[in-house]
Amino acid sequence: MTSIGAIIEQEKAVSYDQRNKQLFSFYTLTLIAQEQASRRLKKRAGISLLLIVSFLLLFLAPISSLIEGFVASLSTLDIIDIFKLGVLNYGLVFIFYKFLKKRSIF
Amino acid sequence: MESDEELIRRTLAGGNHHYGVLIQRYADYLFGLGMRLTAGNRELAEDISQQSFLKSYTYLKSFDARKTYKHWLTGIAVNCFKDIRLKEQRYAPLDDTNEASYSPRLEENSDFFNLIQPLDDNEKIMFTLKYVYDYRTQEIADVLGLKTGTVKSKISRALEKLK
Repeated sequence: MTSIGAIIEQEKAVSYDQRNKQLFSFYTLTLIAQEQASRRLKKRAGISLLLIVSFLLLFLAPISSLIEGFVASLSTLDIIDIFKLGVLNYGLVFIFYKFLKKRSIF
Repeated sequence: MESDEELIRRTLAGGNHHYGVLIQRYADYLFGLGMRLTAGNRELAEDISQQSFLKSYTYLKSFDARKTYKHWLTGIAVNCFKDIRLKEQRYAPLDDTNEASYSPRLEENSDFFNLIQPLDDNEKIMFTLKYVYDYRTQEIADVLGLKTGTVKSKISRALEKLK
């Protein structure tokens, strides 16, 4: 009967080779890319859903009375106020865009 | 030749193709480990190897550079092996039916596989790492997240079983 030591030595000498390593590597990288793409898609879908829901809530919720008040006050606006509003809006859009970009959402 | 740490750093910086180099570097090692743990089941060994690389990529950010990538990957592969065994056990009752079932093609050199057959999964893992891959007890404990004493006692119990 072969001793444990001899069997282990015999096993150490055996080399197991993965069939076609390059293909295996390529296929694994493809799976990784697929998983990343699916995760990114889910993230984007989540954000889009959130934006749609927020948009709907903004117009359907009681907050619309506040918005109406704001719109009514627009008649008294002068050019400086319009400029300030513009800067504020573009600033908010820029911050939001940077945030999404940083989190690789867009 | 670039070190593993350098390749990981580059992969994390957005170069997925660097991870391909790591895959090719450790493909044979993981496949061999899988073959030994699954008693020569080539399909399962390939599964373990692939799942390990996928998991390793997913958690690459959490890789602790104080450890070696090889040991970290070994830990992941061992967990993949355990998961596969759990799934096998979960679906085991199906084997009792008389329906035709798939039987894997096993490798010929079966002395070692026969030797470790009486051991349970944890003992198989520890025995293989210790005696075939020459891991130190401390390294096995790190890979498996166990205490050194536990590893020592399990290995000596495994040796007792084999005598």
